[in-house]
Amino acid sequence: MREESSQMVMYVDLTSGTCNSEAMDPNRLPAFLGGRGLGDLLLWQNLPRNTDPFSPDNVLVFSTGLLVGTNAPTAGRSCVLTRSPLTKRYLKSSAGGHFGTALRLSGCEHLVIRGAAEFPTYLEIRDGVASLRDARELWGKGTRETTQALEARAGALASVACIGPAGENRVRFASIVVDYYCVAARGGAGAVMGSKNLKAIVAVAGARRIRVAHERGFSDVVAEARERLYADPSVGALHEYGTSAAIPVMNEMHLLPSYNFTRAHFASPHLEELGGEGLVRNGYLKARRGCSGCIIGCHRYTEVHQGAYAGTFSGGPQLETITKAGPNCGVDSVPAILRYNEICNDLGLDTSETGSCIAWLMETYAKGVVAPASLRGRGVRWGDSDCLVGLAEQIARRAGIGDVLAEGLRAAAESLGGGSWKWAMQANGMSVTGIVLQATYAYALAYAVNPRGPDHLHSQTEAELALSRDAIQLIERITGSKEYARPSCLEKRAEIVRWHEDIFAVSDALGICAFATTSSYAIDEEICARLFQAATGIQMDAKSVMECGRRIVTLERAFNVREGFARSEDTLPWRIMNERNEDTLGVEDPIVTQEKLDVLLDSYYALHGWDNAGRPTAECLRTLGLAGIVAGM
Amino acid sequence: MRLVVDSPACTGCNSCALSCSFVHQGHFSLADARVTIERDSARARFVPRVCVQCEEAPCIAVCPTDALLRDEELGCIRIVEARCVKCGKCGPACPFGGVRLDGPGRVPVICDLCGGDPECVKHCRLPGALSLGAEGKARTGAQA
Repeated sequence: MREESSQMVMYVDLTSGTCNSEAMDPNRLPAFLGGRGLGDLLLWQNLPRNTDPFSPDNVLVFSTGLLVGTNAPTAGRSCVLTRSPLTKRYLKSSAGGHFGTALRLSGCEHLVIRGAAEFPTYLEIRDGVASLRDARELWGKGTRETTQALEARAGALASVACIGPAGENRVRFASIVVDYYCVAARGGAGAVMGSKNLKAIVAVAGARRIRVAHERGFSDVVAEARERLYADPSVGALHEYGTSAAIPVMNEMHLLPSYNFTRAHFASPHLEELGGEGLVRNGYLKARRGCSGCIIGCHRYTEVHQGAYAGTFSGGPQLETITKAGPNCGVDSVPAILRYNEICNDLGLDTSETGSCIAWLMETYAKGVVAPASLRGRGVRWGDSDCLVGLAEQIARRAGIGDVLAEGLRAAAESLGGGSWKWAMQANGMSVTGIVLQATYAYALAYAVNPRGPDHLHSQTEAELALSRDAIQLIERITGSKEYARPSCLEKRAEIVRWHEDIFAVSDALGICAFATTSSYAIDEEICARLFQAATGIQMDAKSVMECGRRIVTLERAFNVREGFARSEDTLPWRIMNERNEDTLGVEDPIVTQEKLDVLLDSYYALHGWDNAGRPTAECLRTLGLAGIVAGM
Repeated sequence: MRLVVDSPACTGCNSCALSCSFVHQGHFSLADARVTIERDSARARFVPRVCVQCEEAPCIAVCPTDALLRDEELGCIRIVEARCVKCGKCGPACPFGGVRLDGPGRVPVICDLCGGDPECVKHCRLPGALSLGAEGKARTGAQA
């Protein structure tokens, strides 16, 4: 690998105001691949155990995927790694856009940020040099205005990652917003930035060049990956209608959470309008957006021109935003959801977590646990689309009930009491992603063991839904039989989850979008290995690349074990484990009891070589070459 | 042969620019590409700026030393570096922003259609913002 493509780390200490960069040990590359893998390693090495997430000692790591800034299709992903203020666990939150490419072209692959600035500050990286600058006049401003102001200062080749008022106010699920509308949303990395008085990071693409070891070989495998993506009909659909094309499909399958996960089907006459096709048909969609190097372009840009929400414009909405602010709150007004999406993006709030808080508050209000007096005299009724925006504002500014919700679902339920914890759809403090887990057992297992909390972005097991021939073939490849391509089957779920965990880790490490590896299956393990090999000149095959994925997953597990988490935290929201969702279709016993979860966990731990408490054994660590790194866990 | 630009279809992904710099320079860079994307990200408006091989090319007309000429076979603009005096007149003359003057040595950088099989087009098949059209009048969504 040539010198210009070595992995550079910029260390920034906000307390002392010092910044210095150094090259990472190249011997780490074949074991951790890049991106999330090397970022995990930097987090492990730089974050002391038991650090309060809002302490200056907490570390924020930004890591660009190995292939980011190249033309490898979909290679635009970067990760933020830290200890989550929402869950106190390991947090990886990722975003696309052009920030990763700009960061690499500005001179570094990774940022390690520690300390806290004395006053609001932003970090600018240009030509390999990092500078800290005064951001006092930007404090309090939304992400759009902040990004515009910093772009105007830094020029056309700048990319901005920033926080809004939610991050400044340490809302525990505040996001980091990249290039206006690409969001590292989950787990509160934005609040960690806020606690450090760090308003924004500006990366300016400059004179640096990104090189690969074997130009011809790289070109060939890129062309193959590209043609495979083009040949996959699901890719065309994703470009045309975006992620929310899945809304009507999930509804038809009775997997769409509605009314705070009490139902699996949303019986609204406006249901079709909420989907990606509806957004196009009704003229809300104005443009499609692609992250760096992405030939799919699933991101949306929407506008509202009529009615109470006229003037709304923003990137999105994504499937998860619509599910949480729409059906899960009983809301079917597209303009209201688009305004909610715009406001959350601008305030720097995770649309998923915020929507879950609102749905929980609606149920809490319906059950009479919270009185109108504590809601400024205004009821919060199911389906009341007008309260979405107001509550998002209150949360971001920590006003009234918003201050309670800003602490996250788990704390809010403790605060309001009345048994409301039973319908707080969270585990380990994080709200669950929008799919009905009582009918999808690989999803259920994946969410229970996800190091950051019960969501889909470590191991979404879409293949078990058997939505395509490719998905069914994949299940056959993983388990040995097509028979297991059934979501309500308990067998072979561990195998399905582990494959998805591995490929997700590989995707994040290379910077490739999970849509190319786990929704379309066009970019498989072999292509990943060949891309790595051509880019670095380091020998890699499909089996070894997946082993790297497993090493990454295991290091993340070790992080949580080091912080005191084990089997008892591998769990799901109470409702999923204690209430049957009778709204599901064709599921014999639509509930994930502790007994069922134990069956899933036992097989999963055994497959990983972890002990019965979910801790990686010494043998497992040795086999993966992690024994030296995690010594003292 | 000419490049056809359909700006509303552009997603701003930069695959074209990254592929362009790689195929010409052997590395990835936004600064060295023959195509750039002008962007208003807040409004998701992306306009690819690239040579569209005008029939009556203002860059050729304005060049005082005949350093720019048309490739008879491909129809693209060629630069005879030995004749170029780096006066920079061709850049502003192009209504499509297709001439870059900030390249190495300030020699104009103009799309050469990759010898007839443009790399950028291969990476833009799905959005379709850049495609290869037959000879004829330049058609572009780019605002001059």
